[in-house]
Amino acid sequence: MEAKMQIATQTATQTALNTFVHETGAWVASQLEACTRCGMCAEACHFYQATGNPEYAPVWKIELVRRAYEQRFTFGGKMRVAMGLDKPVNDNALEAWSKIVYEACTMCNKCAMVCPMGIQLGPIIHNVRAGLSDAGLVPEDLKTAVRKQEEIGSPLGATDSVYDQRMEWVADEWEVELPMDVKGADTLVVFSSIEIMKFPENIAAIAKILNKAGEKWTLSHKAREVVNFGFYEGNEHLTKLFMQRVFDGARELGVKRILVTECGHAYDALRWTAANIMDVPNVEITHVAGYIWQLVGAGRIKLKQGALDDKGVITFHDACKIQRRGGHIDEPRELLKILAPNAFREMTPNKEQAICCGGGGGVIAIKEADPQRYKVFEMKMEQANRVGAKTVAMFCSNCRLQFTDGVQKYNPPFKVAGMSQLVADSLVE
Amino acid sequence: MQKQGVTRRQFMQMCGVMVGAMGLRVQPPVRESGLPVQMARGFNPITTVAHALQTKPRVPVIWLEFQDCAGCSEALTRSHNPSLVDLVLQYITVEYHETLMAAAGLQAEQNKEDAMKKYAGQYVLVVEGSVPAGIDGNYCTIGGRSALDLLKEAAAGAAAIISTGNCAAFGGIPKAKPNPTDAKGVWEIITDKPVVNIPGCPAIPEATTGTLFNFIVFGKLPELDYLNRPKTYYAQTIHDRCLRRPFYEAGKFAESFDDEGARKGYCLYKLGCKGPTTYNACASIKWSGGLSFPIQSGHPCLGCSEPNFWDGGGFYQGQSAPLDRPTIVTAGAAAAVGVVAGAGIAMANRAQKGRGDKTEPSEGAKS
Amino acid sequence: MNWDNILEFARGPFFQVALFIFIAGMLFRFTRIVLLGWGKDRVKSKGSKIGGVAKTYAKAILILPFLPWVKNTFNRNPIIYIAGGLFHLGLFIVIFLGTAHMLVWKSLIGFGWFTLPLPIVDWFAAVAIVAMLALFINRLVNPVLKLISGPAEWLNLLIVFVPMVTGYMMTHHLLQPYEMLFSWHMLAVDVLLIWIPLSRISHFMFYFFARTIHGAQFGKRGVTP
Repeated sequence: MEAKMQIATQTATQTALNTFVHETGAWVASQLEACTRCGMCAEACHFYQATGNPEYAPVWKIELVRRAYEQRFTFGGKMRVAMGLDKPVNDNALEAWSKIVYEACTMCNKCAMVCPMGIQLGPIIHNVRAGLSDAGLVPEDLKTAVRKQEEIGSPLGATDSVYDQRMEWVADEWEVELPMDVKGADTLVVFSSIEIMKFPENIAAIAKILNKAGEKWTLSHKAREVVNFGFYEGNEHLTKLFMQRVFDGARELGVKRILVTECGHAYDALRWTAANIMDVPNVEITHVAGYIWQLVGAGRIKLKQGALDDKGVITFHDACKIQRRGGHIDEPRELLKILAPNAFREMTPNKEQAICCGGGGGVIAIKEADPQRYKVFEMKMEQANRVGAKTVAMFCSNCRLQFTDGVQKYNPPFKVAGMSQLVADSLVE
Repeated sequence: MQKQGVTRRQFMQMCGVMVGAMGLRVQPPVRESGLPVQMARGFNPITTVAHALQTKPRVPVIWLEFQDCAGCSEALTRSHNPSLVDLVLQYITVEYHETLMAAAGLQAEQNKEDAMKKYAGQYVLVVEGSVPAGIDGNYCTIGGRSALDLLKEAAAGAAAIISTGNCAAFGGIPKAKPNPTDAKGVWEIITDKPVVNIPGCPAIPEATTGTLFNFIVFGKLPELDYLNRPKTYYAQTIHDRCLRRPFYEAGKFAESFDDEGARKGYCLYKLGCKGPTTYNACASIKWSGGLSFPIQSGHPCLGCSEPNFWDGGGFYQGQSAPLDRPTIVTAGAAAAVGVVAGAGIAMANRAQKGRGDKTEPSEGAKS
Repeated sequence: MNWDNILEFARGPFFQVALFIFIAGMLFRFTRIVLLGWGKDRVKSKGSKIGGVAKTYAKAILILPFLPWVKNTFNRNPIIYIAGGLFHLGLFIVIFLGTAHMLVWKSLIGFGWFTLPLPIVDWFAAVAIVAMLALFINRLVNPVLKLISGPAEWLNLLIVFVPMVTGYMMTHHLLQPYEMLFSWHMLAVDVLLIWIPLSRISHFMFYFFARTIHGAQFGKRGVTP
């Protein structure tokens, strides 16, 4: 048994190194060369700020890629490791880093904004995950969820039948029409398991909005899961597979656009990553955070002015993958300008500089990450309490999951709300 | 001197000036200073000098010129105090000086030989001009003998050797690149005796005469620095004493000759002044009896009292600039070496990348 | 020690060698990266990549050094911002706007430019030296820096510090004869020139890669970088 493990971990190091080397072209290498070891990135990382653990510094998270690059591609690196002035990549290192990059990183990329050189640390950390994934060193909880999505199409266990059941129930309970597999529809709407299993009111809300706007939309059996746990893992094969299901559904139904609902990393994967790793159908890929405002702007739906002004201070939590990494920063604020012109307050920092909820990137799925995840939530609570918020609204259901879990644990004076729901509740009939 | 109408008062005044020029200090007698009894006698160098000049015999001087322009001798004729006339007529006997002596040819050479024999161990040897070592020293010959030979012969019996001017001290202008005659300073050739260097182009005449006087009065050489220059005249840089120093500090520079800044007397650093690294007394004693010195007259210091000043990076190039500018060819060669080596490594690295399992990297960092 | 000879060596042949190594080394590093392979970005842009690049350079050069609190994380660790910023500011002013250095550039590239008066440049040099000391202490006590700093980081600090301090001493003729300080300064500069392509001090070249990629990737998403 021990001998088997030994061989397995040796191969692991080699596999990981191969992946690191393969993924390090001029894009990555030029950025690795730019790092001056100034340590500023740590100051942006919510995990470092919340726990004070220097190993959570983003520059340390990408250390494996740096070692692989320097020790394989440069004279200096080869010499230093030979002289014992630098550490090599080995199985122990891989195990240690697996914990750091999966359990203490949400891929929020705030570190890139703080780096004086502008190094895109988030995507490089993704490369670290890719190597660890190939080496088979992924936290068990996450691996289980990924396997579930691979086998039954959803990390949260929403099988085909569960999906059908839930959709039927939602349509019935909230009296909304949920068109399914409509060929020739304009827009394919793909929900996330989190909404299906935990926040079904979201489904009803988005359906209500689209129906009110007269949108020719549809759901799809094939493309029923927008979440991408392969993307969390950094497993390129599975990332592609999960997105393929969505694209197949889109192609099958001949839609013009794919609408990602309240999920963050799904948007990052589909809109900003897919085209570089696979064939993408010629469709527009957009997110409810932007699309709802488009509908308002086109006059297809009308919102009640000041509908949320009487419920105390309302603030907006920027989801890393929808706002900073997605670009839909102004649209939620435009919506809230109408819905709560007097009650809306911005947290500090906000917009592209906002602090991550702490649960993204797969972190909330891993039990071992709970301690630091809750510590980060304490930071978010402090932010919200500083503006006296009674409601914290957001466009991402993973953030919402983290907030809901945290609210349950800490019982702060604010409630958590999904933006689509707030909009749906404020539609002018 | 009395015969020439020099009064005792004038003589004492002159001694006072010499004492000042030599940098000797006066220690007043006890009664006036409150010094302890042991120092009751006090030390008044003026009387010491006067006494020495009155009682000591005139010092024989043999002045050799080799690869020189006679500029240092020229400058000596403008020595203010003592004047060359005073020097030659009263304190030294010039046994041999090509430029100044009336004699010529074999007679002059014979006189020199006789003096060297007669005053062996007593004469002061002053050398002007560099000594070439090339082709066995035959780039410079006098009376059929090489300068090298003549120097060694004269140095053997000298009580003291003084190199006056940059050429004799450090090789001077003949030593400038490519130094075709293999010119050397005296002290590179005479290594068994102390050689005093009085560099400059020319040397400040008071520096030469002052050093001679030091020997005349005290019978020994003055305190020397690491380049064997008398500290009296060479302990400070031009920059330390320059009258335009405040403009250097304030960043007011002349940008070109006779521009507005130059006319206002601004600092000449940008015009290539070598003042900061040049040790000489130009800024304090000045030239022509304290009349002026190059910077005061608007020309940057050439650093003419420093070794290799001719190759010091150009007279009008700022002193901070490197001595040699790399040529386009060298820079191009460096660039080519870098690019070729980098390309080679990059290719090897790309090959290494290609050995992975996947075909096209996703390179998440593209996003 | 004959400091005149040492000075001649440091300003002459040693400088030539150091400059050769610097040029060859920097181009080696540059080429090694540029030819490593740039995969095409096939993702459709939402905003403007070029706009993002322009914005990030403008922000990084014109705004952030002077209004660091615009970057919210300034409050967390002002030391690195302030000391790092002041060090670079002082460095640029001394190297490009100091008369002595401008004359070096003039001799190398053929033309010179306007410079600041000595007392002003001097003040910035002093500020830069103090900033370096602060950065040094920070690297000793900050837990993240302790983790990521190796021998190279300490050497970087030392090899940059010595030219600055000797340059300052030289200008003020402090403690030692001028040609000795000048020699030390030139020797230190020569060592620095050789060390730059071998170390992370070359970041001033790779800065442009990272900053441009950063601006483009944020601009592509329509987010202010």
